[in-house]
Amino acid sequence: MKTVILFILFLSFSIQAQIKVGDTLPNFTLKNSNNVDVSSTSFKNKYVLVDFWASWCAPCRKGNKELVKLYKASDATKFKILGVSLDTDIKKWNKAIEKDNIKFTQVNDPKEFDSKTAILFGVEELPRQFLFDTKGILIAINPTVDEISNLTKK
Amino acid sequence: MKKSYPYLTLLALVVFNFLNANAQISKAEIRATGLTCSMCSNAINKQLKALPEVANITTDLNTNTFTVTLNENTSITPKTFKQSVEKAGFFIGSLLLTSKTSSIKNEKYIVVDAKTMDSEEVTYQVLDKGYVTDKEYKKLSKSLKKMGTYLANNEDDFHIKILN
Repeated sequence: MKTVILFILFLSFSIQAQIKVGDTLPNFTLKNSNNVDVSSTSFKNKYVLVDFWASWCAPCRKGNKELVKLYKASDATKFKILGVSLDTDIKKWNKAIEKDNIKFTQVNDPKEFDSKTAILFGVEELPRQFLFDTKGILIAINPTVDEISNLTKK
Repeated sequence: MKKSYPYLTLLALVVFNFLNANAQISKAEIRATGLTCSMCSNAINKQLKALPEVANITTDLNTNTFTVTLNENTSITPKTFKQSVEKAGFFIGSLLLTSKTSSIKNEKYIVVDAKTMDSEEVTYQVLDKGYVTDKEYKKLSKSLKKMGTYLANNEDDFHIKILN
């Protein structure tokens, strides 16, 4: 009986395994649109916004417009955006990048909500954004564009 | 004594299922609606996956539809799909079900159109409140106003329209 309770407890914890403010940027490597590996560790010493999205997610596409503007206006030596698309259809993903005129780094984890990184970050809905500071510590989940500008100015 | 309980429960379940013999649904196509993008959330998928009757789920991102394949001989009813979608925070926009024609001639299903069902399998839409959009429900309430059972909104009988 005890083991059953322990098992249920373990399950309930593992289900809620979502990263929270104060946690460090998880290590993961995914392919970008040129089929080249991009590692999350390459963003160290910079502010980085990890942006989960998909081409079929209308609110994400709207958000892309804002991110493109934000990225243009920010200092690329201090602030980076890493877009993680959960698209299973690579063609649609590439089309969306082109259409939304995205210039920041884009990688793809093609299994929708079953993607490794989606599980790693505990992403259950799109869009979902995580802002890490220069030490790789998570400082905000789903920040607004204004909040991102303020937080990355320090 | 303690050990026999699972068998008793099992027996009770078997008897219960027998009494509730129903349309043995093999496939369900659920279109979800809500205030937010229903496919942008993993919630519906998770609720459906958690059902023991479910064998497989695929999604069509263009039509916002979940296609659910069910295990054979389950006793799942339309109500379970409604509850799952609502638990996830969404509503059913339309629910299409596929069953063997022989199993559909069940008292819980009230066929609103007098179509003959001559093929082996039948696909049908559930028309009751909560299984169509509010707008469609209003329309149906008018067109089916002679059907007392439709307006009664009994949770456990289902009005269906044959699609094939």
